[in-house]
Amino acid sequence: MIGAIRDFADRFIGRGDAAIAVPSFDGALKPNQKLEDAEVLLECVAPEDLATDGRAIYLADGPKLLRLDGGAARQLSVFEEPISALASLPGGGLAVALAGREVRIFPEPSAAKPRASLTSGLCAVNALAPTPDGMLIATDGSMTRGVGEWAWDLMERGSSGRVLMLDPATGSSKALANGLSYAFGCCATGGGALVSESWRHRVVEVRRDGSTKIALAHLPVYPSRLSPATPDGYWLTAFTARSLLVEFVLREPAFRKRMMAEVEPRYWIVPRLRSGDSFKEPMQGAHIKTMGVVKPWAPPRSYGLVIRLAADGAPLYSLHSRVDGANHGVVSAIEVNGDLIMIAKGPGRILKLPIAPLEKELGA
Amino acid sequence: MSDDNLLSLSKATKLYAGIPAIDSVDFDLRRGEIHALVGENGAGKSTLTKVMAGVVTLTSGTMTIDGVEVSPKSPLEARHLGVAMVFQENSLVPTMTVAQNLFLGQERFYNRLRGIYIAAQQFLQSLNFDVAPTATVGALGAAKKQMVEIARAVLHKAKVIIFDEPTATLTPEEKKYFFDLVRDLKKRGVSIVFISHALEEALLLADRITVLRDGRKVVTDDASKFDRARVVQAMVGRDLSHTLYGVRKTTVRKAGARVLTAENLKMVPMVKNNSLSVFAGQITGVFGLVGAGRTETFKIVAGILKRDFFYGGKIFLRDKPVRFRVPAPAVRAGVAYVTEDRKVEGFFETASIARNIYLALMSKFPGGRALLSRREANKIGRDWIKKLNIRAIGDDTRVVELSGGNQQKVVIAKSLAQAPDLIIFDEPTRGVDVGAIVEIHELINRLADDGKAVVVISSYLPEIMALSDRILVSRQGKVVEEFSALEASEEQIMYAAIH
Repeated sequence: MIGAIRDFADRFIGRGDAAIAVPSFDGALKPNQKLEDAEVLLECVAPEDLATDGRAIYLADGPKLLRLDGGAARQLSVFEEPISALASLPGGGLAVALAGREVRIFPEPSAAKPRASLTSGLCAVNALAPTPDGMLIATDGSMTRGVGEWAWDLMERGSSGRVLMLDPATGSSKALANGLSYAFGCCATGGGALVSESWRHRVVEVRRDGSTKIALAHLPVYPSRLSPATPDGYWLTAFTARSLLVEFVLREPAFRKRMMAEVEPRYWIVPRLRSGDSFKEPMQGAHIKTMGVVKPWAPPRSYGLVIRLAADGAPLYSLHSRVDGANHGVVSAIEVNGDLIMIAKGPGRILKLPIAPLEKELGA
Repeated sequence: MSDDNLLSLSKATKLYAGIPAIDSVDFDLRRGEIHALVGENGAGKSTLTKVMAGVVTLTSGTMTIDGVEVSPKSPLEARHLGVAMVFQENSLVPTMTVAQNLFLGQERFYNRLRGIYIAAQQFLQSLNFDVAPTATVGALGAAKKQMVEIARAVLHKAKVIIFDEPTATLTPEEKKYFFDLVRDLKKRGVSIVFISHALEEALLLADRITVLRDGRKVVTDDASKFDRARVVQAMVGRDLSHTLYGVRKTTVRKAGARVLTAENLKMVPMVKNNSLSVFAGQITGVFGLVGAGRTETFKIVAGILKRDFFYGGKIFLRDKPVRFRVPAPAVRAGVAYVTEDRKVEGFFETASIARNIYLALMSKFPGGRALLSRREANKIGRDWIKKLNIRAIGDDTRVVELSGGNQQKVVIAKSLAQAPDLIIFDEPTRGVDVGAIVEIHELINRLADDGKAVVVISSYLPEIMALSDRILVSRQGKVVEEFSALEASEEQIMYAAIH
């Protein structure tokens, strides 16, 4: 009862969870245009995830599994459904999630038949990460919406995301954490996994005993996939930035309900992986120009961001594609032979940036 | 003595309790000249000007105006002799109108308010001052108050106008306007004496410069024969210019953990959706023009001001949401705010240094402490006097008896005694002499080196550039740009602050 009264008061006054507030891009998240400077390795239709065994780079492009060799891509296989996640396994195998509902384990990337297939209760598997003991950690974004319906989950303020521990040997799965607000991205750590919780704009550490600890909170973005960095730490991608308008919409249930019922989804006021396709798109308060310059502090409709995290989860530096850039909607980044390979899903590009100059310039 | 001299002081000496504030100073002011008086805090500038303005009388020595020896016993007497002084803390009555202030002390037996307003309007227009005579002085900005002070001096037919730190509270635009006013007064034949710690202003505006040190005159010369280094050397007796603002940063400290996060903070009209972060082990410089909402933002953080009640934004201290409605809980949470207005908000001026510091320390205890220990207070006072090199005659010296730089050190000591994690310095070297600036800068750097999160709010760009590891630029109530100290240039910062 007291909680309900407090919630009502919060909504009236605009405090607590009802405050429409977004943290700033400052400190390690200070905007730059590094993603715009990245080399474009490849342009494809629907890139989704990357994986590497340390030598080769594997790319999920819609239902196709590709192997990248420099700027060229070789098709390894085509699945019946779009690939939603990829992970290279320690023994040379490859784990592939299909449409978020099935995870197939292949003994090698080019194998035609899977060694195992896990399907029980999966709904929106969007990231996979191997553990040193041969298990597989998976983030299941939502129990109610599929991987392609993440915007619905956000507008419904979904919190049914899970972190699963999959056993490729037995095909069993065990939930390490439940009730996450869109779990999207994981990376194995010593005692569990680091997991992105997109709708709560934070990264949490989920231990094997099921306990959780916040590693990084109050992000001005929607965090997504994680991957290990050399010599330690992680690469965290963020598929777009938060904006005050979306925060406002998220606090207006009646408006959201009507918008979802009456407006075509592509014109909803939701975060986007790319923008500028139609004049019907809502402005989202962005594109503020002063003296002819698009100000970096203007909240963008779409955005590109990769954050380099230290081993303790603290941000060290970040790579951006700002509101006037094109390489938006970065959903995956992996480190391969001193280069950072990234997917900018908005324009459908595979990007490459050498890491050494970044470390030197941005002071990691 | 040259015939051209309007006012002269010869062997002027003023003793306070046997200690000379000025000692055998010779000074002359020519007709229609702008004469700058510079020197460290405690050099005797204020005493010298107070002698001219009749606020204090000489212990020995002589003063002549137009060749006639005079000894004004009061400001009124000095005013009759044609000498008026515009004080740093202006002497206007805030509850009265501009016109009433102008004619204060010159009232007739029967006064018509309308007549006073018309006369004031005509007079202000003749000076080309854009100030409404009916406006209440308390509602005016610093620049307009300065104009009223000047207008009053001119109205009193002053031949000599003395300004004590006239530009300390002015914005860059207002300063420019003030300089034009001073030049205009010069054209009218008025002689100007002005005290300034901003050496560039002295070099820019003055015809001649007199440098004082430890109560004695070091040199008087044409301004064209000085440069910044020579003035500083004369002021402090050593070359400090390189250690202060001359060297550009080549390295910056790496950010530690995020200590403060403000999200969409609002206190309309001064703070509008302001978002920023402050990190441990770094100096975060906050630059902006006066009115950019910098002070107000951090006063909200420190619980001195309240954010808007409705949709006022969020503050996180070490990632935990906080909202301080008064300063004491903020102090207990490890937030210290070193005020920009030390004389009003910084200390109890008639209390001793030790007592001031001890009182600040008491705010760390919820509900205060039942028993206070004078011995403990004195010990803490002595420790901080030693640590911050506060120059005082004794431990029980009252703060009012200290020079500006040492008063500022007391204000800083009060905050540091609270052992904060986040220290906000608001204009830390305003009205502070060059020697003390170096010490305060060293102290700020030490705090950051020790892992504290340090914020420095300053309107003086070289100070921001010299101190900061990262620079936030504030404009119209919010942070609009961030620079690393390595990449920032004065032009970039100023552009962001204005456009």
